[in-house]
Amino acid sequence: MADYEERQGDGDEGSSADGRTVGGPGRPMPAICDPSHILHRVVVLTFMCLLGFGSYFCYDNPAALQTEVTQDLHLNTAKFMQLYAWYSWPNVVLCFFGGFLLDRVFGIRLGTIIFSLFVCVGQVIFATGALLNRFWLMEAGRFVFGIGGESLAVAQNTYAVNWFKGKELNLVFGLQLSMARLGSTVNMNIMGWVYSKVADLVGSPGYTTLGISLMIAGVTCLFSLICALVLGFLDKRAERILHKEKGETSEVIKLTDVKDFPFHLWLIFIICVCYYVAIFPFIGLGQVFFIEKFNFSPAEARAVNSIVYIISAPASPLLGFMVDKTGKNVIWVMIAVVGTLAAHMMLAFTFWNPWIAMSLLGVSYSLLACALWPMVAFVVPEHQLGTAYGFMQSIQNLGLALIAMGAGAILDTRGYLVLEVFFCICICCALMAVVTLYFVDYLRGGDLNRSAAARAKLHKEATSDAE
Amino acid sequence: MAATAKRRSCGVSSSSSSLVFLFSVFSLCQSSFSGETSRRNLTVELNPGSPSLPSGGDLLHVRAVGVNDTLHFLFCSQGAPTLLLVHTNSSSSTVEVNWPQFEARNISGSLKVEPASSILYSSAVVFSRLLEYDDMNDTADPTSDLFPPYELQDFTWSRLNLSGLSALLCGAAKTFSNGSLCLKLSAFESEGRDQSWPRLLHTANSSQLRVWLDGVSPRAPRSRFLLELQAVGGTYPLSRVEVHRSIDDEFTPSIFKVSQWVSSVNGSSDVLGFLQWKPVSYRRSDPALEFATPCRHSDPQPQSGEEVAAASGLIRAFYAEPQTFRLNVSFGLAGEPFYNSTKFFSWTVLLGAGSPPVDSFSPLVLAVMAVGLGTPMILLLLGGVCVCVRKRATGYEPIN
Repeated sequence: MADYEERQGDGDEGSSADGRTVGGPGRPMPAICDPSHILHRVVVLTFMCLLGFGSYFCYDNPAALQTEVTQDLHLNTAKFMQLYAWYSWPNVVLCFFGGFLLDRVFGIRLGTIIFSLFVCVGQVIFATGALLNRFWLMEAGRFVFGIGGESLAVAQNTYAVNWFKGKELNLVFGLQLSMARLGSTVNMNIMGWVYSKVADLVGSPGYTTLGISLMIAGVTCLFSLICALVLGFLDKRAERILHKEKGETSEVIKLTDVKDFPFHLWLIFIICVCYYVAIFPFIGLGQVFFIEKFNFSPAEARAVNSIVYIISAPASPLLGFMVDKTGKNVIWVMIAVVGTLAAHMMLAFTFWNPWIAMSLLGVSYSLLACALWPMVAFVVPEHQLGTAYGFMQSIQNLGLALIAMGAGAILDTRGYLVLEVFFCICICCALMAVVTLYFVDYLRGGDLNRSAAARAKLHKEATSDAE
Repeated sequence: MAATAKRRSCGVSSSSSSLVFLFSVFSLCQSSFSGETSRRNLTVELNPGSPSLPSGGDLLHVRAVGVNDTLHFLFCSQGAPTLLLVHTNSSSSTVEVNWPQFEARNISGSLKVEPASSILYSSAVVFSRLLEYDDMNDTADPTSDLFPPYELQDFTWSRLNLSGLSALLCGAAKTFSNGSLCLKLSAFESEGRDQSWPRLLHTANSSQLRVWLDGVSPRAPRSRFLLELQAVGGTYPLSRVEVHRSIDDEFTPSIFKVSQWVSSVNGSSDVLGFLQWKPVSYRRSDPALEFATPCRHSDPQPQSGEEVAAASGLIRAFYAEPQTFRLNVSFGLAGEPFYNSTKFFSWTVLLGAGSPPVDSFSPLVLAVMAVGLGTPMILLLLGGVCVCVRKRATGYEPIN
């Protein structure tokens, strides 16, 4: 799933005033029910984190059940990867409008519920498709699921900003991200077990078993929908009690800004697309790769496939802190890209234990997310930030959709070695873009690769000049 | 033989990726220069010297003449289908068949390679039995519930159908209501790969057999099959199976292993002849990744030579004292679809003299990796130079 969350720390923190006015009616209430009290906010935070759990859990259902899906429905890999492509397609467009729909059309509460419904309905359609052995229905399900999934992440972040602005916002974002990774990890490691239990119950594996397993996975989406409803209620209640004003959180997106994007930003886009297409489609295909090349058992293969997410959960906040303290984002991005290239080359050209390569991949992936997304904020003016991020996510999804299809086709015709070489080439393209970015930034005396100390100094001078 | 020596040097499961990379660049250069030494002139002859069509089955003789040696491939359906390979050190050696004796199938020596002193090495593979078992619990454990085996020597075999350098042989047991077991032999003039998977790399020193079972009704809905192979040799029979891991699955997607049943002089690593296959079978006649099914083999067991000579006319005719090892190849693992799902499986094996061919990276992979890794390096260098020039020009002033 796209790394929408990482950007929020920089994207939203600086914008719009605090909408909360404290001081409701004088009547006392227990801390846990008092919207202005920390204890209540913790309760809200719990629901907020669980809101995204379902969509993250179900996003990687196909990866977790790769062998089962391909065998029960007699799919080739190219068709299997269509399930991921169909998730990405709606988001090529929706990334621009998700925030707009949420703020201007539905409002945050209704919007969240609607997107949760999309996720739920999408997963149910997906599972029904499996139950009836209709692949086109499954694709349609993933499409609907995609409409909801990515936008729900936006909604989750908007809620976080509404409730925690100026307080524990970065921690909250960190927790939400960790929860998302937890959802992916649990999915990877539990779905195989669920499938085998259902197979015992039904009597034999087959598309019926697959459909029922996916329906069970859909329970997490239902759970998230309930969270959306509860959150909606709590938010409404808080608004009533605290007379909260509506917080404007999303930036206006102007597509015409695209033509004004500086060269730096385009390089960042290239890095983003080339990098992520070598991560998510790979994880989608990973399970069978580990089984076939490294003779892993299916459970072990799922575990090693999920290590990227497992590492990412604790590493993201830590590495984020490190990048914040040191600055030098371009160097960090370069290290992350080189690390990923090394990991992919290990997987392609050696029989070394894949735990090594996948752990390296996990650390690099987390590092890249922490260092790359904030860079956008350095190169575009604040009023274009929304457009820049929207565009970045949009082309990332476009890349993911196309590469997911391409990767499946490559695997079907040329095998894993060529597929891994292909991923290496994607990473090499990202590396070229980083190297170019480094020099362009260096020659233009840009801000991207400054250390944190230099940035702080510059900021100080700027403010004193203004005075 | 230069080609085979070179191939051994390129270890695939090397521990270092860059080493593998360098090696394969090296071997690629070598193979492009030493290409012509591994060519052979092939002549194909059906039933050589036979006055009439033999009644018990055809004998195909493929004579592959190299610079100073000759390979004789003999493929025969008298009894169980058998492929015999005789390697001689003369480019004028010939095969002589005493047809009345050959068809009587009771005396050895009715098929001779002359001059006998030129024979360096010989080995044969006999497809002796097709076994079927009911895998009721989907464990793919062939020891239980074996049906009575199909003896391939009792099959009714078609005449050999020649086309170019390949020959097709199909046969059916008397109890088959429909369907057949087919073998397709291909001989090669030079190094290359087949069009369809598993696309084994072959040299002019090897020939390829593709075996498939098509449309035969299984005796149980959850049937799986095994094929019994017998490898026959003179002094040095094929005695051990080596399984090598290979990182290169470009030509056989998702298969990272290659199995080699080799014959070697006691304890030495020199290989005289081989049967080579990848542990995969395909459940459809047009192989694709989703129809790939892994297969396994049992350990080779020594076996009585008399038994195999009785089963195969060619073995009886050529070998006086055949040394025989036997193994089973089983198709399908636990959890894989049963034979009934497509009523088809195919499997491919190479029989050859010398060392088995080793896959190396294709030029495509090497070129792409070289460009992919090279371009960022060049960019880095160019950028570095650019920055240095700039720095010098501005006299080490910080740019702001």
